[in-house]
Parts: sequence; structure tokens; C-alpha cells
Amino acid sequence: MTTSRIRNNIRTLRFHHGEMTQQQLAEKVGVTRQTIIAMEQDKYSPSLELAFRIALVFKVPLEEVFSYQPEDTNT
Amino acid sequence: MSFQEKNIVVTLTNFSLILAFYLFRIFQMVQSDTFTSTNLFWLWGIIALLAVIGTIVATIFTHIVGGIVHKVKTNEDPHIEDIQDERDQMIELKGTKVAYTFSSIGIALAMLTFVFGQSPLVMFALIIFFGVLAQVIADIWRLNLYRKGF
Repeated sequence: MTTSRIRNNIRTLRFHHGEMTQQQLAEKVGVTRQTIIAMEQDKYSPSLELAFRIALVFKVPLEEVFSYQPEDTNT
Repeated sequence: MSFQEKNIVVTLTNFSLILAFYLFRIFQMVQSDTFTSTNLFWLWGIIALLAVIGTIVATIFTHIVGGIVHKVKTNEDPHIEDIQDERDQMIELKGTKVAYTFSSIGIALAMLTFVFGQSPLVMFALIIFFGVLAQVIADIWRLNLYRKGF
């Protein structure tokens, strides 16, 4: 499976925001539910604009939602 | 399966059937010694018609049947997520790139047969073959990207 080196806390943040559903988040940021699922499974790295929109929904800084794992820490 | 994935499956099925029909007709023509320009260009017309109309009809039919099945199973109105977001656009672009690459290789190979003394009809037959094949490969590539991520 192809996974991205960009990790995210979307699932946790959804849980802490009144157990927001994937569909609700998808509607708020203007993407499909499948895209939210793909991001949560680290199968898709969003664009910078979408990343900011997600951070805005949760009212947290971008780095609290997304983090970058450099290649050398994977090994 | 998402709306976009369903569309890809429909297109993939349609183009695979078209490819099978095309190869079958070409082999029939070659065997019966009727591999002429008139017959080949008539086949091109049929293929183009099937590709456009077949895909539209199959897509509409699939979504209607899918909606009915969903309603019967869950007793809820079907929710069609027909927006195309950035991930869908990215996957479509990657698929288009694959289609262009394969069709370019195919056209080059078709031209090569002409260079090596085959008739122009063989070249024309191969061009449409590689065109449809490129579409099939691109759809498989897109489905793979939806499933495995990128």
C-alpha cells in the first residue's frame, strides 16, 4: 500500500469536536467523504489550501493537524 | 464505492467490451479476406459511436439501478456525491497522463509496422486498437490509485 510521509490527527480531532462524522467534515471543507477517508488512512496528502481549511474547521494551527515524517525516520 | 469509482468501472467495462468486439471483428475480417478500407472505417465509426453513446447510457443506467438497489436495501434515498474534488482531479490527470503515454507508444508502434512494409490499413487498425487499449489501462490505473492511494 502506498502511504504518505505526511501524518495527520484528523480522526482524533473529529472525535474531540463532538464526534464529527467524516461526512460532516467533508461538507465543511468541500471534498468528498472518500477524500477524508483516504487522508485518515494516510493514502492521500491534501493540498495546502485543503490542509488550511481543515485546520480552520478544528480551529487549531496547521501543525496540530498535520506533521511531516522525514524519510530517514521511516527506516 | 464512490461516484467517481463507479463511473470508472462503467467506462472500463464499456471500453473492455469495445476492445473485445473490435479485435473479434478485425480477426473476422482478416479470416474472411474482407479487411478493406471501407470495412475498417465503418468499424471505426461503430467503435466511436459505442464509446460515446455506450458510456453515457451505461453510466445513467448504472446510477439508476444503483439508486434503486440502495433504496430497496436501506429504505433511504440515495446520496449521490457527484462533486469532483482535488483528489478526483489529481487521479483523473494521472490517468490521462498514462493514457497519453500508452497511446503515443501505440501510435509509434503502428507507424513502425508501416515502415516495415505492412499496408496502411494495418497501421490504421493498430492506431484505434492502441487508443482503446490506452483508455482501458488508464482506467485500471485510476482505479488502482483510488484503492491504494498516492
